[in-house]
Amino acid sequence: MSSSDVSVPNSAEVPVRGRGGWDLLGSELAVLFRRRRTWAMLVAIALIPILLAVAVRLSSSTLNPGEGPPFLDRVTQNGLFVGFTAMVVAIPLFLPLTIGVVAGDTIAGEAGLGTLRYLLVAPAGRVRLLLVKYVGAAVFCLVATLTLTVSGALIGAALFPVGPVTLLSGDTISVAESLLRSLLVAAYVTVSLLGLAMIGLFISTLTDVPVGAMAATVVVSVVAQILDVIPQLSWLHPWLFSHYWLGFADLLRQPLDLGSFGQNAIVQACYLAVFGALAYSRFVTKDILS
Amino acid sequence: MSGNFLRWLPAVIVPAVVVAAVIAVPLQAGAAVDLPDKTPEQVLLLVNDSTVSTFSGTVAQSADLGLPSLDLGAGMNEVAPTGTSTGTSTGTSTGSSTVALTTALELLSGSHDFRVYAGGENRFRVQVKDRMDERDVIHNGSDVWLYDSSSNAATHLRLPPDLSAAAAEKLAELPSQLPSDLSTPSQLAERVLTELEPSTTVSVGTDARVAGRSVYQLVLTPRTTDTLVASVSIAVDAETGLPLQVTVLAVGQSTPAFQVGFTAIDFAAPEAALFDFVPPAGATVTEQAVPNLSGTVGEGGVDHSYDPSKAAGAVPIVTGTGWSSITEVPAAAVAAELGDNPMIDQLTTAVDGGRALKTSLLTVFLAGDGRVFAGAVPLARLQAAAE
Repeated sequence: MSSSDVSVPNSAEVPVRGRGGWDLLGSELAVLFRRRRTWAMLVAIALIPILLAVAVRLSSSTLNPGEGPPFLDRVTQNGLFVGFTAMVVAIPLFLPLTIGVVAGDTIAGEAGLGTLRYLLVAPAGRVRLLLVKYVGAAVFCLVATLTLTVSGALIGAALFPVGPVTLLSGDTISVAESLLRSLLVAAYVTVSLLGLAMIGLFISTLTDVPVGAMAATVVVSVVAQILDVIPQLSWLHPWLFSHYWLGFADLLRQPLDLGSFGQNAIVQACYLAVFGALAYSRFVTKDILS
Repeated sequence: MSGNFLRWLPAVIVPAVVVAAVIAVPLQAGAAVDLPDKTPEQVLLLVNDSTVSTFSGTVAQSADLGLPSLDLGAGMNEVAPTGTSTGTSTGTSTGSSTVALTTALELLSGSHDFRVYAGGENRFRVQVKDRMDERDVIHNGSDVWLYDSSSNAATHLRLPPDLSAAAAEKLAELPSQLPSDLSTPSQLAERVLTELEPSTTVSVGTDARVAGRSVYQLVLTPRTTDTLVASVSIAVDAETGLPLQVTVLAVGQSTPAFQVGFTAIDFAAPEAALFDFVPPAGATVTEQAVPNLSGTVGEGGVDHSYDPSKAAGAVPIVTGTGWSSITEVPAAAVAAELGDNPMIDQLTTAVDGGRALKTSLLTVFLAGDGRVFAGAVPLARLQAAAE
């Protein structure tokens, strides 16, 4: 089959050598963020802090310190804690779920729709496509965490007083610095999800059924978190991609503790390397029939 | 076919390289260190001559004492309401003693990470890093603050100004009270070693690396076989003489029963603002007085003074010497609430003549008649002592 007789499917343009990678990335992001599914997930993510804040606002009973999810008892005193509480609530299941949907869909989705071969008509197209698909998933990780952070900050500011933020160490920082720390937390969580996104991409190259890849990715994230609480496997814990997910608490200490940020980045980099290599080998040897 | 084979190579090589790196990097950190040889006495001198007063670092503590697993959360919940509802001093003291016990047990089991800052001149800060919380102790001159982020509660202790002055005075008196042959540090080191000699073999172990620094290992090995302690090793920084790690090995256990040590250390002075603690808005602040040296209690404080008549005949008795010594607490000195505490039941197991708590380093024997025996010895020796 030559490229000339292929009708180009909508929005998935044939990459041209040279600037082709950027074009492909642009169209991939455009497709991703034009999807109704993507928007639905982002809206759902934005709703997490809003639901939390409204529930706390409407309830008459005040929480004792230490009750409920972390920081929830402080929300009434300072709206800026809404984002942190929402992040803790969303990390174990909701964020991995959305990442699983996006990453699991990357290759398997195209294969399932029968559009994959059109994307691969250019020579050396597979590696480039894999990279573009991964960058698309990574951008979604960033957008998802930023959505949560921004929506948390906005609803917190709208419903509760905003003031200097008390860190875990008992020290107090200004509103501006706390916003900076919120962005750091978003960056931390984004990095935390990169490993899972690569696992999702790899699983996505294994199948032509996107739902299967999505479900498998979510299952992997749940299994990792279960393994993380089994004490007999403590030797494995530091190397589970989910082990440092809640480590962003270290960013809320004074002085700022970037230790777990670094460890988290190293672990995620290991997962990127291993599953990136697996995805590459699988994808370049795959028979693309659809 | 060979093309496909080549394409599968990355999938084999990259994971192999990653796994190799994961295994090799820690080994690299623990690579052999060769420091100029020193005798135990010289290492002790090194510690004595240490002038480090400022540093910041992270400390990791891990314990593998074989403590029975406890439902600590349930214990807390069970006790907290009684303490608050009665509101009497006895109610709260029972509550706080159990909470203190829970905290102590919690810190002794599992592993914990700390951040430690020393700013010199009586300024010190320790942060216990819990997963989503933190507990802080800040000591700055005459102020000590305790802060717990999970309950958002701060406790303020004001050390009486004469405390440090009196302590300094006592310290200044000390050399004159010491035997005259201890005037130099090297004599002191020699004396320490002589004192240890009958019970302990002191040696310098293989040089190692702790927190990225080369260390001498001072190893204390009990001469007696009657103790649960196999050895205690203290890692001393070769450059500054600051002890960086303490490891306690138990008999018949390959992993350290207790280990606390720096994982990173920086000898630069931490920021001064770190030691100026102001309780955050909305925190519950408790002012607590500290009894000063003369025994009177500051205004509004809790009476901590100790009634000597009550204590008569209740002084713990120590039998045996060195590592195999046993401490006996007479029944009169044992708090009555100890017997009723449900946590004690959970912790101990019934044995001949009472109940016992067995850990890899320490055994506690609660005799049926109310006496309590404790020591770093096997249970049988405690039972023999009780007879």
